[in-house]
Amino acid sequence: MIVRWVAALAAFVVVAFVGIVVIGDFSTDAAGDSWALVAALGLLAAFIAYALVEYLQTGGFGSIAAQFDMRTLVLMPIAIAINIILGAAVANALKIPIYLDSIGTILVGALAGPIPGALTGFLANILWQYVIPPPFQGTVAAPFAIVAAVIGLLAGLFARAGWLRPRPDRPAGQLAIGAVLALAVVAGLALYAYTRFYTETFEFFNPDTTDPLFVVLGWLIAALFAAFIIGFLLLLFVRRDLTVAYVTVAGVITGVIAALISAPISANLFSGVTGSGTDFLVAAFRQAGSDIQAATFQQGLLSDPVDKLVTFFVVYLVLNAMARRTKARFPQGELLLEAEEPGTADEGEWRGAPA
Amino acid sequence: MAGGAGLTSTPAAATPSAEDRGLPESIGRPGPTAYHRLNPLTKATLATTTAIAAVVIGGLIGPLLLLAVLVVVPAVAASVLGRLARTALLLALPIAISAVLVNVFFFPGGQTELLRIGPVVATAEGLAFALEILVRIMAISGAITLFYLTTRPADLVVDLERRGVSPRVAFVANASVQTVPAMVERAAQITDAQRARGLDTEGSVWRRARGIVPIVGPVILGSIAEVEERTLALEARAFSRPGRRTLLWTPPDSPAQALLRWALVAGLVALIVARVLGAL
Repeated sequence: MIVRWVAALAAFVVVAFVGIVVIGDFSTDAAGDSWALVAALGLLAAFIAYALVEYLQTGGFGSIAAQFDMRTLVLMPIAIAINIILGAAVANALKIPIYLDSIGTILVGALAGPIPGALTGFLANILWQYVIPPPFQGTVAAPFAIVAAVIGLLAGLFARAGWLRPRPDRPAGQLAIGAVLALAVVAGLALYAYTRFYTETFEFFNPDTTDPLFVVLGWLIAALFAAFIIGFLLLLFVRRDLTVAYVTVAGVITGVIAALISAPISANLFSGVTGSGTDFLVAAFRQAGSDIQAATFQQGLLSDPVDKLVTFFVVYLVLNAMARRTKARFPQGELLLEAEEPGTADEGEWRGAPA
Repeated sequence: MAGGAGLTSTPAAATPSAEDRGLPESIGRPGPTAYHRLNPLTKATLATTTAIAAVVIGGLIGPLLLLAVLVVVPAVAASVLGRLARTALLLALPIAISAVLVNVFFFPGGQTELLRIGPVVATAEGLAFALEILVRIMAISGAITLFYLTTRPADLVVDLERRGVSPRVAFVANASVQTVPAMVERAAQITDAQRARGLDTEGSVWRRARGIVPIVGPVILGSIAEVEERTLALEARAFSRPGRRTLLWTPPDSPAQALLRWALVAGLVALIVARVLGAL
């Protein structure tokens, strides 16, 4: 058991070291943004090392296979099909700058746990590229398999921490605290992204800017953020469900991490274009003066958090629409049910009630 | 929610073509040409190494050579060149258009002006870069499409299972391939059902957008509702029984093909090393 974890840690360190050697000093500008990709590859190597050692020790993958009960295995193909169909439909038909290709991944992560979630994302992108017939076949899905795996892993971890458990009918004070904390986290991440990736090339609200396109784009983004905050507060206080705050934070964190991992892949593979609606953003940021790497990061950090936010909300709605007993039968399903208030069991009331 | 559950009962009933339905006939049937009859893993290795090599080599000539030698020649041998060209071009069209437009008109640091449309400038540097990306896209989509046209997904999965991939992973892969067309058919049925109840799917963009929820919702929830039945069906057939199972048929393999696969992988590794060391 210890040996497996040591092997996994060693593999992670080796990959991180090789990554630093190949990419060079992390302080240089273009390379400095690849740390998330290196870390994700390190995680993948660690997982493979863990599995290999377990196979050598026991001749099987017992502790990993134990994560996959029959119900999870049956859900996975359905989740993969949801990913592929919605992803292909959005990319080919709608031309909007989000992806919507991880609903199934996040659903499996929430219901079954981090490892099944990661495997669902990984397999979905590989199958999407190699064996799914046109018109659903993906042109550039397989290189992003590692991003999908990390998304599934994160979804599983958030659900395991109980973040997707419904918390209905909370008092307004709690909701207000939740709203403030969630908006603070989102604002913090936005500030990081803005200062790190956007300030060098253009300012959103500079009236002297030569290109009127960017004044429009800047106001558009500001309007989007305003709509997001109003929608968020409405949802939180109308539904009175504190989990809205948790789902928001989970979605935005997942989106930022996904963007940081996928941008270097996208930039080096096809110069940041993917043939979908996100290409308009890439073109806009390049017109503003960003180079290929920077424009891809700027596009990703705008598209991915919005995309993952929407996806997490869709998954949360789907989970709420599912029957309690269906949810509870999945490995992590207990964590998606409302917490039982102690002392309100039906049985006790019934016994005490007058005939 | 329950409305979608009974519409398509089993994945087998929803496979697209009739010839795939009779499993024994389809699975054991040898392909029409020698290239089709290669082991699926050999074809998958060829496609993957070609795609990665096209990215590693870069430039214009390298990917074009790869395209000619490792995609067009095998395609002629498998007599699928026409279909390959059609499918690959159609598949790569959206990303190719994007890559050309974005790089020609929005290339950072482009100096040589070719054309000016309002604030947007086409540059020669951008055109050169766009061509590089274009041949890379063609090499990748050609290689993958060649694999796709000459290999049945089930053959690859069976072959991987024989090589020790867990039957659980094999099941997920196989079932995914079957679930995609089944779910599309379910979506079409639900769309028809909702239109019969007065849903507007043809008006303005806003109206169509509002129609997404009553279609996507039942598709997802109906599919999830099926999980229970399928789980019971598979459990009843002892799917979760431990130990290896006997495969009735596996695609043929040969030592020469194994050698070819290792040679391809070794060649790719050598290419990457040469590239990293700057020798290329």
